[in-house]
Amino acid sequence: MTSSLMLSSGMNLGESIYPEMIQIGGVTLPLSGMIGTALVLILLLVAYFIRRSMKNWPDTPRGLQNVIELIVDTVHNFANDKVSPYADALAPFTLTFMVYILFGTCIELFGIPPITKDINCALALGLTSFVIVNVMALRVLGLHGRIKHLATPSAVVLPIKVLTDCIAPLSMTLRLFANILVGYLIMHLIYLFCPVILPGILSVYFTLLHAAIQCYVFGTLNLNYVQEALE
Amino acid sequence: MELGLIAIAAAIAALTGIGAALGMGFATGKAVESVARQPEASGKISSSLMLGLIMMETTAIYGLFVAILLIFVVAA
Repeated sequence: MTSSLMLSSGMNLGESIYPEMIQIGGVTLPLSGMIGTALVLILLLVAYFIRRSMKNWPDTPRGLQNVIELIVDTVHNFANDKVSPYADALAPFTLTFMVYILFGTCIELFGIPPITKDINCALALGLTSFVIVNVMALRVLGLHGRIKHLATPSAVVLPIKVLTDCIAPLSMTLRLFANILVGYLIMHLIYLFCPVILPGILSVYFTLLHAAIQCYVFGTLNLNYVQEALE
Repeated sequence: MELGLIAIAAAIAALTGIGAALGMGFATGKAVESVARQPEASGKISSSLMLGLIMMETTAIYGLFVAILLIFVVAA
């Protein structure tokens, strides 16, 4: 049954669930890791040039400056609503997650497999968020305060709360991975069904909107978990 | 394993969409009601609605993911 579902590269569609590997000079490397590294380098280069031109920016924003100020302000206000005293520390983290997920998924439009389709990438993002939540909670509340916060109504709920906290990165991982993978698989089924006009229309939903929703979701959940850990 | 049984299992797994759709419908309906009653609180209502919708959407995605695993991994 599945043997008929072949991608253009000759790979079975079901195999796209597993992380892909590539051979570079006899070394086997994960494909999504390589694409992710290249993407981060490009983004850092763009960020460097924007940062360098920032010195000459006038007080009244125009053009690119308008867009960048809007994005940064929105995320900062958003973080301010949730974790107001620590927004300066958490807004950059959140925006970094969002930019990485957005661009890492939108590269699907150029025919490159999205990096967030790889469960390792999604797990890395989830674990980073877990580390941020715990570091923030430990710095703000301290070890004693953190344990006390976890055992708030009574000591009986401590294991349940610890379990909830430990499940959170896993649930973020699976949510991101499954969403992007499903969008990718559906887009490939559409390519098999009608390779000409239809994918162009439907990729607006299955690639662009999915990427935008997932980047928003990841940012919101990251801030939300920090808020939950601190309040 | 028999291919037909796997297909039926995948179809049952995809039925999680029913629950998620009902939950999302109720939540959005209630949110619209409360915005109509209290338009000045629409910002807070929509942000908490989004958070709820994210959680509900996840269940539907898990169902779809299980269905896809059944079709592409178990049946392959």
